[in-house]
Amino acid sequence: MSEFQKTISQAVRISQSTGPVGQSVVREDAVVKATGRAVYAADITRPDMLYGKVLLSTEAHALIKNIDTSAAKNIPGVHAVLTARDIPGENVYGIAVADQQVLAEKKVRFFGEPVALVAAETPEIAEAALKEIKVAYEPLEGVFNPIDALKEGAPKVHEAGNLLLHTRVRKGDYRIGFEQADVIVENLFRTHGQDHSPLEPESGVAWFDGDGILNIYSSSQYIFRDRKQVGRVLNIPINRIHSVNTTVGGGFGRKDDVTVEILVSLLAWATQKPVKLVYTRHESMLTQTHRHPTIVRIRSGATASGKLTALEAVVYGDTGAYASLGIYVIKKMALHIGGPYYYPHYKADSFSVYTNNPIAGAFRGFGILQAATVHEVQMDELARRLGMDPIEFRLQNCLREGLTFSTGQVMDQACGIAATLEELREYVKRHGLQFKKHPEHQEVER
Amino acid sequence: MKLHGIGVGSMVYGVGYGFARPDFATAEVEAAADGSLTVWSGASELGQGLRTVLCQIAAQEFGTDYQDVRVVSADSEKTPDSGPVSASRSTYVQGNAVLQACRDLKEELRSLAAEMLKADPSTIEFSGGYVFSTTNPENSIAFHILTGQLHARGRRSHGFGWYDNHTEDVDKETSQGDAYSSFAWASQLAEIELDTETGEVTVLRIASATDVGKAINPKLVEGQIEGGAVQGLGFALLEDMKVERGVFKNSHFSTYILPTAADVPPIDPIIVEVPDPKGPYGAKGMAEPATIPTTPAILNAIADACGKWLKSTPAIPENILHLLGVLPDERKEALSIKDIPYPPF
Repeated sequence: MSEFQKTISQAVRISQSTGPVGQSVVREDAVVKATGRAVYAADITRPDMLYGKVLLSTEAHALIKNIDTSAAKNIPGVHAVLTARDIPGENVYGIAVADQQVLAEKKVRFFGEPVALVAAETPEIAEAALKEIKVAYEPLEGVFNPIDALKEGAPKVHEAGNLLLHTRVRKGDYRIGFEQADVIVENLFRTHGQDHSPLEPESGVAWFDGDGILNIYSSSQYIFRDRKQVGRVLNIPINRIHSVNTTVGGGFGRKDDVTVEILVSLLAWATQKPVKLVYTRHESMLTQTHRHPTIVRIRSGATASGKLTALEAVVYGDTGAYASLGIYVIKKMALHIGGPYYYPHYKADSFSVYTNNPIAGAFRGFGILQAATVHEVQMDELARRLGMDPIEFRLQNCLREGLTFSTGQVMDQACGIAATLEELREYVKRHGLQFKKHPEHQEVER
Repeated sequence: MKLHGIGVGSMVYGVGYGFARPDFATAEVEAAADGSLTVWSGASELGQGLRTVLCQIAAQEFGTDYQDVRVVSADSEKTPDSGPVSASRSTYVQGNAVLQACRDLKEELRSLAAEMLKADPSTIEFSGGYVFSTTNPENSIAFHILTGQLHARGRRSHGFGWYDNHTEDVDKETSQGDAYSSFAWASQLAEIELDTETGEVTVLRIASATDVGKAINPKLVEGQIEGGAVQGLGFALLEDMKVERGVFKNSHFSTYILPTAADVPPIDPIIVEVPDPKGPYGAKGMAEPATIPTTPAILNAIADACGKWLKSTPAIPENILHLLGVLPDERKEALSIKDIPYPPF
């Protein structure tokens, strides 16, 4: 044991002896991670293991006229080149809606969609084989923002149309609320996409045992759902799939749905050898999910005394080519677009929309980072127009036990928003910070 | 010119899935003859420290040391399905499942202890490595002796826990109803400096007041608060994901700019504890709440500094220069408020 390891072990023992809940015990994986001994999926090797690579679409929206894999298959060291037609089960998956093809069959819907798979004896051979796969695309007109996607005659990303879900929230009567308002702030917001960028890209190793059990070791947020989805595509009963989570280098929602598990399992099935598949950063960014870009129009009203009266909002969420968790992210956004405040009258609509953009899915915040960006600027602007302190204005309107959320749900004793704002009010005082006066903002005399 | 400003952002976050989606967790626990404990949970450790928290919960329940608990996680041939690790639900839902598994096993241990101590089972307590009756605390059994007897007498040494956090769906037309079983709350303050010539925004400090109900491990909570603020800062100021006609243009780390240590300001974590009666020891979810308020706090600090709110993210220098009127905004396709009517009532 090195000096460094001894020091850590000692620190662990000291902190552990002080006891459990409420104590900052040193995390149980501190030593194994700090000493570099934690095993990530990319660290795993098996005898005879092959390396997988994925051919990604170079079109955002196009028909696939032909895929020629013959040259790739003839490269020495290549053990399998797979396309949609090789899939033994159903070519479909999806965390909330099964709308996503594992390998593109008749058309591609986004730039970066998996089209073919290769397993080869080295990563270099696999890479060379990818270059020899010839895909003949017939480009289609694409649609790249949710407003255009909902227009009549817009190119259809999916046959059933581009609207995934429309959510309506109706509480009270917003018209009455706005009549009572002395100040109304209305804005158009646009929030951009974001890449989760977990330190560890998506990765996994799969192989079949002699008795036909499929083993999948992967970096995942939910191995039990991965297993179900692999079973459907490979046509294997779920109880013959052994899924194991390796050490995970961050997820942030990116690894909530299946990432490489189905693809690496298909290659293991086709070659009957262990196969490792680790996305490069660039591949990961192209083919995996992201944060939803959104467009929001919103107006909020308050009385001259600083009481919120009404909110009206419409949210367009760009979920990209496939749903992933886009149904629930954008539904949740409609419920949360008013934030942690009490509105007697609340009207919000949200539209989760398919486009030919990169897929958006779960990402730490789940639509509420976008919602908060909107409702907090609204609150700040209202406070300034009313000539009120931004923290006091929030405290005056925040949810408390007995008040109702946008869905009419009554808040219980666990409602903690006021406590967090009071802490910040103290913090501002303690550190001598001050909000600037912008007299040009003030609209009403109090 | 350098302008200075402060801004606040707040949020509410419905914890778990809501909308009648499955939202359960399963856990098992075993007391070995030597008093060591094994917890089986299908939940994934993502680096957030969930395994540590589950160890702490089990140790708390049995009154043993934290190092005497081992968690086996996320292996379909060893652990039960504990649901996904997402939606800030893990400490709340998976923690509750472990709590129930421990309490299930404690029933058996309590009944054995009552026999050995000739006491009423309802008076049996577990604390400090000992098991005793509150009516006569002097007369105690060391926990490892009790578990040794559990095995010697062939009694049940496994506990099972299942926790269901699902809620009914809200009304289809109005979304009225009880959407979530638990809510999380957070507010942040950002202090920034804005350079009016370059458009660069520098964050000078972030104070993050996050209501966690009960901090089971305060250091891990601080880790989430700090990591969350940095990820939020990245979204607000740096991570401009450029997509043109469906192509993610800057899809390399050379052009997709993530925050590094050099971008991280002092972060003051303020742990707020308003207990949730349904959470384990009052705990709530907090992983997402730690990142959500950072962006609005920064945008409001920018407005405090210059008098104008940026309504199109991110706050990269060129967008700030558009905001200040220094550069004409030619960046985005024209979209005005009139293009986006509100749907009918």
